[in-house]
Amino acid sequence: MSKNSIQLENISVTYPNGHHALTGVTASIEAGSICGLVGVNGAGKSTLFKAIMGFVKPSTGRVTISGMAVKQALKQNLVCYVPQTEEVDWNFPVLVEDVVMMGRYGHMGFLRHPSKADHEAVTAALERTNMTEFRKRQIGELSGGQKKRVFVARALAQGGQIILLDEPFTGIDIKTEDALIILFRSLAAEGRLILVSTHNLGSVPSFCDDVMLINRTLLAHGPVETVFTQENLVKAFGGMLRHHQLVGADLHDDEDKRSITVLSDDERPLVFYGETGGQKITKHGNKE
Amino acid sequence: MDSLLAFFTEPLAHEFMQRALLMSVIIASVCSIFSCFLVLKGWSLMGDAVSHAVLPGLALAFVAGIPLAIGAFIAGLFCALATGYLKENSRVKEDAVMGIVFSGMFALGLVLITKIETDVHLLHVLFGNILGITQRDLIEAGIIALLCAVIMLVKRKDLMLYCFDPVHAGTIGLPVRLLHFGLLILLALTIVSALKAAGIILVVAMLIAPGAIGFLLARSFDHMLAIALAASLFSCISGTILSYHFDTATAPLIVVIQAFLFLLALLGTSLGTATRTIIKA
Repeated sequence: MSKNSIQLENISVTYPNGHHALTGVTASIEAGSICGLVGVNGAGKSTLFKAIMGFVKPSTGRVTISGMAVKQALKQNLVCYVPQTEEVDWNFPVLVEDVVMMGRYGHMGFLRHPSKADHEAVTAALERTNMTEFRKRQIGELSGGQKKRVFVARALAQGGQIILLDEPFTGIDIKTEDALIILFRSLAAEGRLILVSTHNLGSVPSFCDDVMLINRTLLAHGPVETVFTQENLVKAFGGMLRHHQLVGADLHDDEDKRSITVLSDDERPLVFYGETGGQKITKHGNKE
Repeated sequence: MDSLLAFFTEPLAHEFMQRALLMSVIIASVCSIFSCFLVLKGWSLMGDAVSHAVLPGLALAFVAGIPLAIGAFIAGLFCALATGYLKENSRVKEDAVMGIVFSGMFALGLVLITKIETDVHLLHVLFGNILGITQRDLIEAGIIALLCAVIMLVKRKDLMLYCFDPVHAGTIGLPVRLLHFGLLILLALTIVSALKAAGIILVVAMLIAPGAIGFLLARSFDHMLAIALAASLFSCISGTILSYHFDTATAPLIVVIQAFLFLLALLGTSLGTATRTIIKA
C-alpha cells in the first residue's frame, strides 16, 4: 500500500454562477503530519475540502489521494470528515453510538447490518475519545467538547487514514482544545494525514506541522516555522485582522527595538515577538 | 362490554367500511414511515408542493387514458425536479421557486379539470374519499405503498444518514444523488398511494404529523419510526371508525386526531422539560 498522501495538481474550481473559488493550486501533503489550511472566510478552504471529498469537480487539474482517484479513495473509506459544530442538527434523534456507527456504514453490506467487527470498532473509538460513558446520550445532550469528540470518534471508527477537520476549535474551551490537540497529534504520529481548515490563527503554531495559506489560490505552503510569518499572514488575510502592536518604547526602557505584535480575528490571538517581523507589519499597518 | 365491541364491529359489517379501514391502515403505514424522513430532512414544504402539483397530472392522465396514478406520479416528480433546476439556475430562493411551481401547477390542474369533462371529482381529489374506495383502488394503493415501505425500511439507515449528514454520506462513498432523487421519487409515490383516500390537501398532514410526533418523543431513529407508525395507525383507524359513528368526513377527522396527538406530545415534552428544570433548580 502506498503512503497516505494528498496530491493537488493545478486545481481550479469555478462554480456554475461564474465564481472563481480557486485557481491553480498545486501542493503535496504527506502522511504523519498535521497540515493547517488557513485563510479568511471565502478564501476557498471549504472549496478545497469539497474537491478532496469529490463534491465539486475541479474545472482544471486533478486530486489524487494515496495514489488513487478521489472516487476510488472514498470507496475504500480512506477519507473521514469531521464537520463544524454549527453544521450538525443536534436535535436529530440519534444517540452517540449511532453517530459513531455511521462511520462503519461503508464497511457494511447492503442492509447496513453491523457485524461484530463494527461493534468493536465503535467501542474502541468511543474509548479512545473518552466518550464511552456518553454512548447512550442523544447528541443534543452533550457539551461543546463532547459534541466535537463524537465526530472524531466516528472518523476513528471509520478507520480512514485521511482526516479532514473543519474548524475543530470553535465553541470549545481551552482545556478541551488541548485534549483534542493531544489526540490529533497521536493520530498523526500513527501515520494518518490530518488536514485542518481553520481561521483560528492562535492554534496553528501549537497544533500544525505544516501550513497552507490560501486566498483564492495557494499563497504559501511549508513548515509552520518558515511559512507562518507575519508577512505571509498579512498577504493571506489582508485587512481582515485586528493588529495590536506594542513597540520597543512601550516594552523596554532601553534601546531594544523588539516589539510584540498580536494578530487576532475572533479567536485565540497570534503573537509575534521580535525585531524584523515587527517592522514589516508596521509598514502594512500604516497603509491600511 | 358488548356495546364497546359493537362500536368496532358494527362499521365492519359494511363492505365499504372494510375497504376504508384497510386503506387507512395502508396509508397510515407508508405515510408515517416517509414522514420521519420528511421531518428530518426539512422537506415539509416540498411535501406540500408535490401533493398540490399532482392535480394537472390527474387530468392529463384521464385525457390520455392512462392510469391516474401514473399521471399524478409524473406531475409530482416534475414539480420536485423543476424546483431543484430553477433554484440552481436562478437567483430566486428555493421556497419562492417552489411556491411558484406548485401553485402554478395546481392552478393549471384546476383549469383543466373545470374545462375538460373528466370523472375526476374535484372535491374528492382535494379532500379524499376513503369511503368510496373500490377494490381496484385498494390493490393499486396497496402495491405502491408496499413497494415504498419496503424500500424505505430496507434502506432506512442510508436515507437517515443522508438526512443527518450528507457530507459524511458522500465521503464514505454512498451515492448521495441517488439517495436524494430516491427520496423525491418515494415522496411522489407515497403521495400517489394516499391520494384517493386523503386527497391532495390532507395528505400533507399525514406526511408531516406522525414524523413530527415521533421527532418530539424519540431519542433514536428507530424509536421515532415506531412512534410515528403507532400514532399514524391509531389516528387513521380511530378516525375512520369515529367518522362512521358521527357521520363526519373521514380524512379530515383523521387529520384532526393527528393534530391533537401532536399537541399532546408537545405538551408532554414541554411539561417534562419544565419538571426537569424545576427538579434541577
